[in-house]
Amino acid sequence: MALNYGVGQFAIAGRSPTTASSDSKSHRLFHFGRWGVSQFSFYPFCLYRFVPPFRCRSSLIRPNILRCFALATLFGVVMPCLPAWSDEGKGDSQSRGAQIYATQCASCHGAQGQGVEAEYAAALTGDSSIGQLAEIIAETMPEDDPESCDGKDAEAVANYIFETFYSEAARVRNRPPKIGLARLTGDQLRQSLADLFARMSGSSWSHEERGIRGTYFDSPNWKNETKKIERTDAVLDFDFAHDGPGEGIKPEEFYIHWAGSLMPERSGEYEIVLRSTCSCKLYLGGPQRSFVDNHVQSEGRTEFRKRIYLIAGRGYPIKLEFTQRKRKTDQPPASVSLAWIPPGGVETVIPQRHFVSTSFPAAFALQTKLPPDDRSYGYERGTEISRIWDDSTTQAAVEFSKLVTDELWPQYTRKNKKKPNQNRAHLRSFLDEIVSTAFRGSLDDATRKVYIDKQLDATADDAEAIRRVMLLTIKSPRFLYPLIDTNRSRSQQAANRLALVMYDSLPADDWLLKKISKNELDSAPQIEQAAWSMVSDYRTEAKMRDFLRHWFEVAESDEISKDEQVYAGFDKAIVSDLRVSFDAMIDEIVWSEPSDYRQLFQADWTYTTSRLAELYGDAWKPKSEPKYASKDNASAKANGLEQSPLVRSVSDSKTRLGLLNHPLLMSKLAYYKTTSPIHRGVFLYRHMFGRVLRPPNAAFSPLNADLHPKLTTRQRVELQTNEVNCQVCHEKINGLGFALEGFDAIGRFREKENGSPIDASGSYEDRQGNKVQFKDAHELADYLVKSEDAHRAFVEAAFEYFVKQPVGAYGPDKLSELTERFRNSGFKVRDLIVWIAATAATEPVTSNQET
Amino acid sequence: MMNQPLSRRDFLTKLGVSAAAANFLFSLPSLGWAASTSARKQRIVFLFSPNGVIPAHFWPEKVGRDFDIKRILEPLAGFKDQMMTLHGVCNKIQGDGDGHMRGIGCLLTGVELFPGDIQGGSDTPAGWSQGISIDQYLKNQMQAVPEKQTRFGSLEFGVMVPDRADTWTRMSYAGPNQPVAPISDPYQMFDKLYGQSKNRELLASVLDDLSEDFRRVEKMISSEDRRILEEHVAMVRSVEKELQTELEQSKKNADVGHAIPDMPANVESENDNMPQIAKMQIELLVNSFAADFARVATYQISNSVGNPRMRWLGIDEGHHGLSHEPDKNEDAYEKLIKINTWYCEQVAFLAKRLSETPEPDGSGSLLDNTTIVWTNELGKGNSHTRDNIPFVMVGGGLGFDTGRALKFDRVPHNRLLLSFAEAMGHPVESFGNPDYCGDGGLTGLV
Repeated sequence: MALNYGVGQFAIAGRSPTTASSDSKSHRLFHFGRWGVSQFSFYPFCLYRFVPPFRCRSSLIRPNILRCFALATLFGVVMPCLPAWSDEGKGDSQSRGAQIYATQCASCHGAQGQGVEAEYAAALTGDSSIGQLAEIIAETMPEDDPESCDGKDAEAVANYIFETFYSEAARVRNRPPKIGLARLTGDQLRQSLADLFARMSGSSWSHEERGIRGTYFDSPNWKNETKKIERTDAVLDFDFAHDGPGEGIKPEEFYIHWAGSLMPERSGEYEIVLRSTCSCKLYLGGPQRSFVDNHVQSEGRTEFRKRIYLIAGRGYPIKLEFTQRKRKTDQPPASVSLAWIPPGGVETVIPQRHFVSTSFPAAFALQTKLPPDDRSYGYERGTEISRIWDDSTTQAAVEFSKLVTDELWPQYTRKNKKKPNQNRAHLRSFLDEIVSTAFRGSLDDATRKVYIDKQLDATADDAEAIRRVMLLTIKSPRFLYPLIDTNRSRSQQAANRLALVMYDSLPADDWLLKKISKNELDSAPQIEQAAWSMVSDYRTEAKMRDFLRHWFEVAESDEISKDEQVYAGFDKAIVSDLRVSFDAMIDEIVWSEPSDYRQLFQADWTYTTSRLAELYGDAWKPKSEPKYASKDNASAKANGLEQSPLVRSVSDSKTRLGLLNHPLLMSKLAYYKTTSPIHRGVFLYRHMFGRVLRPPNAAFSPLNADLHPKLTTRQRVELQTNEVNCQVCHEKINGLGFALEGFDAIGRFREKENGSPIDASGSYEDRQGNKVQFKDAHELADYLVKSEDAHRAFVEAAFEYFVKQPVGAYGPDKLSELTERFRNSGFKVRDLIVWIAATAATEPVTSNQET
Repeated sequence: MMNQPLSRRDFLTKLGVSAAAANFLFSLPSLGWAASTSARKQRIVFLFSPNGVIPAHFWPEKVGRDFDIKRILEPLAGFKDQMMTLHGVCNKIQGDGDGHMRGIGCLLTGVELFPGDIQGGSDTPAGWSQGISIDQYLKNQMQAVPEKQTRFGSLEFGVMVPDRADTWTRMSYAGPNQPVAPISDPYQMFDKLYGQSKNRELLASVLDDLSEDFRRVEKMISSEDRRILEEHVAMVRSVEKELQTELEQSKKNADVGHAIPDMPANVESENDNMPQIAKMQIELLVNSFAADFARVATYQISNSVGNPRMRWLGIDEGHHGLSHEPDKNEDAYEKLIKINTWYCEQVAFLAKRLSETPEPDGSGSLLDNTTIVWTNELGKGNSHTRDNIPFVMVGGGLGFDTGRALKFDRVPHNRLLLSFAEAMGHPVESFGNPDYCGDGGLTGLV
């Protein structure tokens, strides 16, 4: 659910609706140690409803609320301690801690720290050190008299709970993480159906050239002898006026055929906007799939808008036929443009990088709306079985079967015309191929009988038979649960996992199926080799982009708005360009040869547009011509859409720290008018360092900047959080967040705020208890690239995003092992993903023949 | 392939429905029901056939009640009392577009076409119509009145309309430059009308197999992982139960027009299947009226300049090609009479099906409250005239004084469109080009 990542708005305290239901079902033993884990939104916003802003006129917050906040931050409400005892060793300390805990704490926190519903329900888990725990116990417990318990008693209790159930190690020991059975998530369902379709229709391939292939004719239709121009056009945005499209072509009568494939970089709903003053037909998704039919040019009908859900990392064949027809009356000047409004973006002529100049086979993109999946562990998991989800799978099956009937089945019939077709043999073998792809392995007789033969017997109508089979297949556990494959060969199982990890999908590509049938995915080296072949696929690239967007908390395509007075020029178009810039940086860093994780924090370049350069100044000036420039393109601004092509920026080591201070992130982690060091600090602590923060039980609104006109943001935050109970968490948060104070609420570099110089010094205490100081964001970035905590956090986040299982389930040392290998490789992100996929695909699997 | 049009009985037999079940399926009278006192449901269907007629064998010579029925109209003889022919109604719309284009594009809109790039014949090229068509206008008006609202408002049926969006293939318009595509594939229309119910029915029938397979799958996984699967199969069972209840309920309702009609299997959209497709579409139209899915419909057989080859009548040439032949070509002339008679048979079959289907509230038959307006884009094929456009009406939907042949003196057809609007209870001062509406609706219809 969005709230895990959803910052930047005044979210309300409490659980998000989607995670709440699963809460009761699964015990959250493992999720506190992970990034993006809380089911609560970010702190300052949570507080809104408990303390209306006017209460904060005084810089002091009401003590009772403050207290409640601080206590709940780490512990329960009541935690009385016994008087200080004298000298003892560590073992004694343990047993004394146990004794204190059992007699004084367990009634509220549970014997194993699991919580007590009526008292303090949350489990006592986290990643504070024993020292930190002891300090907190000493300072805040028991609730009514914190000073009565300190020193060695506090230490004893801290030591006991840390070793017994609080720490990650204790939790892993008590209940080792396991690979859990889950159904396909929404994204996995979309991807699996897309590949199921591709199995029959054909897969796409890797194609270098970007742009769309144009073939121009000096005639009103395709005639080889009148073909005058063949070229790759960068974008579709032409105003030929009365001049004709090129040499040798009469302006009064011509035909242009554009064909290629559309490559979206973000999954979601797109509004396609076609403008044309002439007859034109647009096909999208398949060669015969009409999207806009404007065969007739009719005065006044020049704009066509239609929405479609597209999946990132897939190519959709697109074809535009454009005809200027000769006539005895006046002709309108010829112009055409193809634009779109991407999710979270503004209308723009579809940029060149989203076209490849080859026509991929017909593709399937599910249009059915799917409910969001549980995200309480920081990654999506298909663990919830709800009615709305069940209904959506029915709808998906119906939608899918329609295209099977309309496109795949006629295509198959044509291909197999000459083969004998007794007892509907064609339909049977056609369905057999689809169902066995969906079930990730060939069908045994019993399964074939239920899923195909019985359904064919039920109706003489082929379309209805297909619908029956698809309903049954797509709703089957054999399709919906990819890990129920213990009846399959070792190679099949490995391929199933590789496809799931790399593409969120199922094995459907010819080469992979060949390896399965030859049993060539039987050993670890074979599996890793296959993973290498899969890593540079468009689908993996898209998943990588999505992972990093999530990790950097910029995945949601919701609006980011800022005060127009203070941040003039920061509008929707800028945000749209920032998203594109962010994505382009991800692609460049990950898929360039070094594929160096450290560049995420150290790259001194970015991607920019003219709009961004205008707002953000010299550091955003382009360094080069547009990456996909095309000079012979007679492109013109026919429709007043400003084009702002994406280009690489100049280097600027002073203000640029890779993605760490990218304005998209900085503006997201900020308020309407001011920065939010707390948001930024929480983000860094949790995501970049992979640390744990417990949500508060009460909510505060930030101090109103207008009421403290002389203070800097840093000073206001310090003022609001300086109370000892606040400091329990805020000493972790603020020290990180302050380091980014050199970047304002839209991510511009600044040296002053309210006339005072910016103080961007900060600090971090790592898991081992080492304290690090930085004087500014640069030092923070430099620390991030060498921090053990950060490396682990990245590897773990990547593992869990790609595999959707806890890394601990693949062995207690797996995370350390992968982190070490990652570090030794020179922090190659691409290699890490290969090892992650190979790890998931070589897990010890059991073989269990189906009876 | 069939050489004869299917009779209703044949059709139903093909469907595998017995005569007794047919009564059930098509909801024949339940005599005990009293006529409803509320306002009757008025319905209108615009049925189009292309390329003009052979006037000498179409129009009655005698006007008034004692009119004579010529060869082409012979299939409608049984409905003589419920029909009305209107001679002398002319499509006077000028402007861009050839005769066929203006013939179909202005027929229900009464307004000129936009300038455009579609060139036909020797006239100037044109685009789409500049205005809404009467069927869509009525739909909008009726949908705005709660007691006239229906699920779809209007339905646009096609029979072998080519899969090509141009001025010759569209007669219905939702507004200027907004042609409405008819649905020519009966399965697609079925899906629109009954898809959801049908899918639920299919789902209900496969869920049992599904939950059984869950049991086999369960054996493959560990007991720990079984929880989610158990939850899942419980969900499947509860949906199954719900669907069963729903289906039983809908079976009970089947006799009030909610039955899902059966469709013959695997009928391809091919020229030679035209008679079968025409019948399937008529059955769907009648069913959708009985279920009150819509009260306005268009039924478009091929298109203006449509060229079906009626091999089932022993005619190998396409209709449009034949329609250009001079009258003295006796072979063509005779074939054109046969072709137009076949179109009339479709009108008659629709009238028959409506007449034998009772109003769900028991107040007579659907035909009593439905008017079929059979029309054409041309008066006569080889002259391309839009004078004396064939207008034949059957049924009591508009409340006209039927059983008469009328003759008008070259009145613009806009006035007839005004009469439709008025008779349906949504009078309007002008429709289409106001220049042709000056004298208001036609007189003498009621």
